[in-house]
Amino acid sequence: MKTVISIDIGSTWTKGAAFALTGSGFELKEKISVPTTQDNLVVGFHETLARLLHQDPLTPLEQLKGLSEIFFSSSAKGGLKIAAIGLVPDLTLQLARLAAMSAGGKVVKSFSFALTGGDVSELEKLNPDIVLFSGGTDGGNSKYILENAKKLQSSRLSCPVVYAGNRAVAEDVLNIMKSREVVVTENLMPEVGQVNIEPVREKIREIFLKRIVAGRGLAEIVDLFGSQPKPTPLAVFELISVIPEFYQDWSDLAVIDIGGATTDFYSNTESYLETDTVVLKGIREPKVKRTVEGDLGLRVSARSLFETGQSYLEDRLREEGFELKEMEEFVDRISSRLDYLAESQTEKILDQILAEACVYYAVLRHSGGWREVYTPQGRVYVQTGKDLRRVKAVIGSGGFLSGEKSTAVMAIPLKKLRNYGEEKKLLPDCPSFYRDRHYLFSVLGNLVEKYPQEAASLAVASVENLSQKGENHD
Amino acid sequence: MGKDTIVIGVIGSDCHSVGNKILELFFTSEGFKVVNLGVMVSQQEFIDAAIETNAKAILVSSLYGHGEIDCQGFRDLCLEKGLDPIVLYVGGNLVVGKTPFSVVEEKFKRMGFDRVFTPDIDLKQVAELLRQDIKEKFGSSLNGQENKSQSNQNKQLSQAAQADQNNRQEPEGSRTK
Ligand code: B12
Repeated sequence: MKTVISIDIGSTWTKGAAFALTGSGFELKEKISVPTTQDNLVVGFHETLARLLHQDPLTPLEQLKGLSEIFFSSSAKGGLKIAAIGLVPDLTLQLARLAAMSAGGKVVKSFSFALTGGDVSELEKLNPDIVLFSGGTDGGNSKYILENAKKLQSSRLSCPVVYAGNRAVAEDVLNIMKSREVVVTENLMPEVGQVNIEPVREKIREIFLKRIVAGRGLAEIVDLFGSQPKPTPLAVFELISVIPEFYQDWSDLAVIDIGGATTDFYSNTESYLETDTVVLKGIREPKVKRTVEGDLGLRVSARSLFETGQSYLEDRLREEGFELKEMEEFVDRISSRLDYLAESQTEKILDQILAEACVYYAVLRHSGGWREVYTPQGRVYVQTGKDLRRVKAVIGSGGFLSGEKSTAVMAIPLKKLRNYGEEKKLLPDCPSFYRDRHYLFSVLGNLVEKYPQEAASLAVASVENLSQKGENHD
Repeated sequence: MGKDTIVIGVIGSDCHSVGNKILELFFTSEGFKVVNLGVMVSQQEFIDAAIETNAKAILVSSLYGHGEIDCQGFRDLCLEKGLDPIVLYVGGNLVVGKTPFSVVEEKFKRMGFDRVFTPDIDLKQVAELLRQDIKEKFGSSLNGQENKSQSNQNKQLSQAAQADQNNRQEPEGSRTK
């Protein structure tokens, strides 16, 4: 029997798990978390590793190294900030945003058409980690691209630029942006509607790694262990990509992870099924998709959630017999405290309603919709975005949802979304709700590259079906 | 490269797909790069695709009899989006009832379409006209048109930027569809 250890260095907690690798797969032996040591990540990493290996915490890292196989991931401080530039909002810009989020990044701002002087100064102020620069099909529009390249060249931005636009002018872009770090990759939309985001994701991932590793001691761990960390969101992305490959019953699934700062939503389901009565407009979204919402979160982002989610919050507070003011006070109390735990019964309910709002808006933005069009031969549906109707399993992961035993936090907002606006949202038809009971998805995601089947197997085995127990809030 | 890109599609809630496929095959064989948006295409989609692909012409089809309503304001939207010199054709079953074709043609021309076609038009002739019209508006057709058209794009740029100013930036978290 062999021990495999996976450690995820998050922004607040460093989580680690030890797995026993037996003939029948992984078995969870132990799971711990220690506070992340912001100035030098190695300290928290070292402590986690020593404890998982049951060694004296003073044992030098070099000596711990040989004791088991070790994988690790890091979310980097606040995630990777990406500014997305595209041409038309519904085409290249939409794809640039998708590519950025599916690579584990957070889109801090999107720009379409020509950058203005104001846009450039805003970009400078935002100081992103990467500018993802796209626009135009191959051989298509070049005017806006060249114009924007000049503006980026003369800006004060210092971050790397990933160019994934019209291939015909890639060289011109390189020439114009001579003094910049520009990485050219394949066009993310070579033809209208054709989606090609893998190469961009790969490039972003490479840059992400460099950035995670730089500073705060991680380079030391990389040197010592001879392996690169994975960006945390990418680890989960890979896990949910791989589960249906081994378990057909889990063919259509979604994972939601509500954190203090962001809410992540992952789906793995065919985005569009062609039929005579459903016509897809715009781009065909990828089967595995991640979106991350920087304004939805339970602590650091509670203030912005309070603003974004006002209408949902008001509605739910009324139903539960609270005033908006009570929520506002609660939000003020928690938004500066990363690890605040709800205490009284009231606070617990308020926390739950905030979490529901995260689910509501994350799903709203992730899912597509359709419009009915009456034609003389009957009804036809015009679909935009991703169809989630076939999703059978919705799994809650992350600190909050892993500990949540009732389906309410996920089920109530999904139900409310059914009556959203005029456009019908393409939501899971009748999903079962699960929780990632031991909060293993991120640590298991680290193991996917080497042990895909074993990781998928344990992920499936460790989720708990909440729907079976009915709707009672225990 | 070196081919002129044209965008085709059937406008509005129109599902007639057979003619659209024929147009795609035909214009491809005539040496154009065809971006086919299929059926039920909105004005906005035609224009978005034309911008991304730097298209020289948009060929709109309407078969089901509501063409006049669906096409209203098409040229204006092109201007709004900075596609000034783009060639606009419309064809299909545009005549409803007993209105003479010349009256219908006049209506569509007033909407800004450069040419209007009946369903029985000889497509060879259309391809010839299209090459001529592109040459006239963009300086040259097919190979070697690059410079002139790019400078034309250049002129459009400032207008386009102006027109898009209002709704072009989406603050994160307030994405609406
Ligand atoms: C097949 C058909 C259908 C099928 C379509 C199946 C499909 N997937 O395409 C179905 C049954 C779904 C259908 C439905 C309807 N149809 Co129908 N349909 C036809 C039919 C019999 C043939 C169309 C066809 O495929 N023709 C063959 C192709 C090759 O020709 P085409 O489409 O005309 O395209 C050519 C030219 O027009 C030209 N062209 C087209 N666009 C352009 C653009 C440019 C720029 C140029 C240069 C040339 C060009 O080039 C094309 C290629 O050669 C026609 C009658 C007819 N004989 O035309 C009626 C017809 C088009 N339909 C008609 C109607 C009214 C309808 C309905 C509204 C009513 C109904 N009772 O169901 C619905 C509308 C549904 C909708 N939302 O679109 C009317 C339209 C009347 C009008 N415009 O005044 C027609 C003319 C029948 C009639 N005489 O009443 N229809």
